[in-house]
Amino acid sequence: MRASIAKLDTSTDPQVGFRPPGTLDAATALDRYRGAFGRRQAAHLARRSGFGPSAAEVEHLAALGVDGAVDSLLHPSEPDLDFPAYPDVEKLYDPKVRNGVAKMWWLDRMLRTKRPLAEKMTLFWHGHFATSINKVPANYMVGQIDLFRSQALGNFRTLLSSVSKDPAMLIWLDNRYNVAAHPNENYAREIMELFALGLGNYSEDDVKAAARAFTGWTLDKNGGFLYRDQVHDPGLKTFLGRTGPWNGDDVVGIIVEQPIHQRFICRKLLEFFVYSDPEPELVDRLARVYALSGYDLAQTVGAIIRSNVFYSTRAYRALPKSPVEFAVGLMRVMDVRQVPADIPFWLARMGQDVLAPPSVKGWDGGPTWISTATLLARFNLVNRIVRAVPPKAPATVASATAPNAAGPMAAMTPAPPNPNLFAALTPDQIVAHAGGIDANKVLDTVVVGTLQGDVTGDVRKALLDYLNARSATLPTPFGPENYQERVRGALALVLNLPSNQLD
Amino acid sequence: MATRRVFISRSLGVAVLGGTLPSFFGKAAVADPLPALGSTIDPRNVLVVVQMGGGNDGLNTVVPYSDDAYHRVRPAIGIDEKAALRIDEHIGLNPVMSGLNELYKEGRVAIVQGVGYPNPNRSHFEATQIWETASPERPVATGWLGRYLDRIVPASTSAPSNAALFTAVTLGDTVPAALIAQHVDVPAIGALSTFQYNVGKDSASKTTANRLYDGAKPGQSPYLDLIGSTARAALHGGDYLKQRLASYQRSLTYPTDPFSQQLALAAQIIGSDIGTRVIFVSIGSFDTHAGQRNQQDRLLGYLSNGLRAFYQDLAAHGNADRTLVLTFSEFGRRVQQNASNGTDHGTAMPMFALGGKVKGGVYGTHPSLTDLDHGDLKFNVDFRSVYATVLDKWLGRDSAQVIGSSFDPVAFV
Repeated sequence: MRASIAKLDTSTDPQVGFRPPGTLDAATALDRYRGAFGRRQAAHLARRSGFGPSAAEVEHLAALGVDGAVDSLLHPSEPDLDFPAYPDVEKLYDPKVRNGVAKMWWLDRMLRTKRPLAEKMTLFWHGHFATSINKVPANYMVGQIDLFRSQALGNFRTLLSSVSKDPAMLIWLDNRYNVAAHPNENYAREIMELFALGLGNYSEDDVKAAARAFTGWTLDKNGGFLYRDQVHDPGLKTFLGRTGPWNGDDVVGIIVEQPIHQRFICRKLLEFFVYSDPEPELVDRLARVYALSGYDLAQTVGAIIRSNVFYSTRAYRALPKSPVEFAVGLMRVMDVRQVPADIPFWLARMGQDVLAPPSVKGWDGGPTWISTATLLARFNLVNRIVRAVPPKAPATVASATAPNAAGPMAAMTPAPPNPNLFAALTPDQIVAHAGGIDANKVLDTVVVGTLQGDVTGDVRKALLDYLNARSATLPTPFGPENYQERVRGALALVLNLPSNQLD
Repeated sequence: MATRRVFISRSLGVAVLGGTLPSFFGKAAVADPLPALGSTIDPRNVLVVVQMGGGNDGLNTVVPYSDDAYHRVRPAIGIDEKAALRIDEHIGLNPVMSGLNELYKEGRVAIVQGVGYPNPNRSHFEATQIWETASPERPVATGWLGRYLDRIVPASTSAPSNAALFTAVTLGDTVPAALIAQHVDVPAIGALSTFQYNVGKDSASKTTANRLYDGAKPGQSPYLDLIGSTARAALHGGDYLKQRLASYQRSLTYPTDPFSQQLALAAQIIGSDIGTRVIFVSIGSFDTHAGQRNQQDRLLGYLSNGLRAFYQDLAAHGNADRTLVLTFSEFGRRVQQNASNGTDHGTAMPMFALGGKVKGGVYGTHPSLTDLDHGDLKFNVDFRSVYATVLDKWLGRDSAQVIGSSFDPVAFV
């Protein structure tokens, strides 16, 4: 019976319909890529395995070659920056500021980390095990993000077991109230439906059995994990066809052994790293790698980012950037060195209020990132970051950063100018790199530095016209008097191109 | 045996086969912008939903002043019998709500008492999801108004026209769960200036952005087409909105608080005839665990004065009869006040409906203050009955299709 229902239900996946055109060569799809590895491939790897990247990161990765570049991401040799293990504790418990403090703490790590793949996988697990700061206090959310980071590329079985004991999750899905006398099925259901198997691959009896297995997994007085034997149900349970006195860890072990689980998690990884709605043959092949590795995530992710299909033209700029990827990537490209305080607000407007997913299902992603309001927010965030100049007079900052001066942004706009909050990439640097105030050369520098040169002739023409325009508001052509404004303007237009919405 | 219809959902980009999905929530419906043939419902009707975020204390909003039990459970934060603005022999409005009281006296306000649902949830987040999706039993991806929109806006592979883009708007920075639809894009208009491409004085940059997107070609990725068409709708829609709203003249000065300013923009949108059917506005911070009177009274004052100004503005432009305002909050609050002169999360609460066509009065009975469920009020009107009323009688849609089952209407429209 079970074998016949072991099929991935993709009917509610909004990314179905967005598979790139063309045909998969399944037999060689996961073989190691041995083709050219230049700037475009290096940037592709950096975007999918991290955030950004800056032009310098692209050159660095390209110089390493594909194997060296992937190894440097999977097994970084140098320690990461010495980040604060925890946000300021007093603020983390202050109801007025704690949510913002937690969001900023994480965004800072995304911006500055030397281990972008681990941070990217942390973001993946946050979306996968979607837990919200709107129910779970900020200190627990920080603990959960730390857990994701420490096991980001570890073993999925261990991760699933750790998540089942994670205080934030015990609060989020109510397992702290799950006791033998009154089983609470919330976590037991979601571990199967959302975290590991997918809808349709378990029965209501399996939910009941799993709930009994997780009874007694709760919190102690200090908010740590506590196993309370006296409220655990030690009886025999039949779960996914197997009978025994199962506890939560047994349930996790049985789940990961299901072939449908292996396909479920691999499909999700492929949608995150490669493209939407991957072919079942591709999913099956990766599921074999994952099972053979004993659920090892570094080996599984490594197999993806070394593969032919990953570097294929079908996968190139084939996924829409999530708002977090867009905003952190923008800051990295522009060399902003400290996250401006209004970024969490912009993320919410773009549709990804980090640490606050809209429901237990997380963000739907794919086409649901794209709406009129979210695109305008993306455009205006670019306009705000690229055009914000460290002020000489404070009035300039207000108008550059707060189009809606009465709105919440005004309050969140940092008051005294801190140079780290502004792009360190300046028009002068671009002009210097271009070798002079020459519209063609400047445009080349901009499109190579941001989009690895991926613009069409029509686009290039429109951008050149902008740089060279003479109009009522731009009375003089591109030259020494106006290059500062025009280079920033052109840079913003390039970053607002359709192709920069794609990873 | 139903005909299978295939709809291409624009924002989902997925072919949805009618009848093959497990629940009504997943089904794409036959979109029809007009109410049923023969309906007497004005197709220009507008619904304005007011979210009172944080959980509004109903007992200090619509006050059961004649009930001794009320004064016993609210010794420090209760509203004095003499101060309450009398609705009838038993209940009165919070004294700061003189504006709404005037409208009530004019017969423009309905009060629906004791609204809730079975097994109430006391988490802000989850209770808000429940109210906005109209699905207390399980989480669903679309909101109750989103599902309504999916039924009135035809699914299409191209971006919405300027005229269709503003069918529903939220006057906040993010789209609330209530307005999440399968295929309808809902603009979030935090302020008129945020639904624009903002480049300050550099208008050439805006012109160039338009040129780049107008000339954008579909590429290899199917996402490029979606991004291009959506961006064009946004860039041109922003211009259209600004231009269409420019000639509207407010008939009075609104209060300066942000909620009243949202209502001012709502009246401007309604009065500018850009095809808007649903507007979502919100006023927050009703989570009064401590020092409730100061905070809640201030907020109810904003609500009441803002709504009065809004109604007057609508009436002056001849739009009061085609506008219905409906308030909601994710839960009411605990009957017994707490030790901090506040109240904790509770259950049932009153809802207000306001409009030129509203049949004013009190609907339902005030929940008992002595027959409680774990210290909380027992509801007597399911919130989905209120939604069903709005859908069936005001928006002209079969509520059972939108909500998933039938609920008895409440006679306020």
